[in-house]
Amino acid sequence: MANLLWLQGGACSGNTMSFLNAEEPSACDLVTDFGINVLWHPSLGMELGENLQKLMRALVSGQVPLDIFVFEGSVVKAPNGTGEWNRFAGRPMMDWVRELANVASFTVAVGDCATWGGIPATAPNPSESVGLQFLKRGHGGFLGKDYKSKAGLPVINIPGCPAHPDWITQIVVAVATGRGGDLTLDEFQRPKTFFQSFTQTGCTRNMHFAYKVSATEFGQRKGCLFYDLGCRGPMTHSPCNRILWNRQSSKTRAGMPCMGCTEPEFPFYDLAPGTVFKTQTVMGVPRDMPLGVDKTGYVKLTAAAKAASPKWAEEDIFVV
Amino acid sequence: MSANGKDEAVLKTISDMMAAGLETQTEPFPETEKEFGAILTELRHLDSEDLKSKLVISGFVNHPYGPDQQRCLECMYYLVHRKWCDLPELSVPVEPDWWCRLWRI
Repeated sequence: MANLLWLQGGACSGNTMSFLNAEEPSACDLVTDFGINVLWHPSLGMELGENLQKLMRALVSGQVPLDIFVFEGSVVKAPNGTGEWNRFAGRPMMDWVRELANVASFTVAVGDCATWGGIPATAPNPSESVGLQFLKRGHGGFLGKDYKSKAGLPVINIPGCPAHPDWITQIVVAVATGRGGDLTLDEFQRPKTFFQSFTQTGCTRNMHFAYKVSATEFGQRKGCLFYDLGCRGPMTHSPCNRILWNRQSSKTRAGMPCMGCTEPEFPFYDLAPGTVFKTQTVMGVPRDMPLGVDKTGYVKLTAAAKAASPKWAEEDIFVV
Repeated sequence: MSANGKDEAVLKTISDMMAAGLETQTEPFPETEKEFGAILTELRHLDSEDLKSKLVISGFVNHPYGPDQQRCLECMYYLVHRKWCDLPELSVPVEPDWWCRLWRI
């Protein structure tokens, strides 16, 4: 039996909604098949008021062991570093987070806000939001860059806006069943099993990417979304086209650009007008290249790919 | 007239206009998305039949352009087989060696 506590800071509950839709395994499977004891969760917890405070104090004191501490949402430090804008169970949430992280065997940040600060931490960041161990690309965050949970791991970051349901439940199961030590994390402490490949990996529009045929409007059944519509699939690490959403699709498959929500910089360009769903260019060349590709190579490749593109690449291939 | 026939007719019209020395706004090249968007906005306000203004505003030329000799062939909006500019605000038949300042790669 592994005790799990899930708290929300500066959050929209999107990751909770995602978690509750998990299928492999489902949230119920965590309890019935994998022996996870959900001590409390904002949407599932039964305790209120004094009873909840009692549970929280028991966890902090070690009277009740905390095996997995899941945090959703940013750590709100406003105003002036006091955290008073986000109170929970009688005190600033950030105080609970610090103390619970110190006693947890594993600490898991779910969603962009908990991992890197997310949208709340976008400039000018009035809520003084930070992620558990990062603020955007900056290592440190709320707990500091040297933080390690009792099991010896840093915060396990499962980013996304929201994170895919199965990324959450599969990591929780791995930790709860004693395989936490098998997790390998990348430089942003994301499990490599999910975040080594790109969103583009498995995208059904890869043929159009190869032949440089662009989608020019949302929902088109042809064309790559990278060239004009701001898709960040070639430089975003996620398995969105390997582990499909609702088991059947993904944004890019449906004709909507990837917004790069598993990367620390999300939302990119601080959501400045004209930067969302529009590929940013400098003199007609994309500002952000597919990872590992330089400008000269890109221009040469484009010329060759265009010249070689087959006729079918210009037509709708996913017909109803 | 078939769609192909209509495209060919429009292509010839554009070719003739440019061969006759139509002056178009090749500069300034839109360096940023904001500048690019401003040109698109201008195009959207045109009468859909106003081909000449479309060519002028977008800076059409009937040859490669600039130090890199940019041309439609490499532009992401260009459909090679249809010989077509797929940018919704333009949507005109073009030759691969032409260029306009809405060129993007």
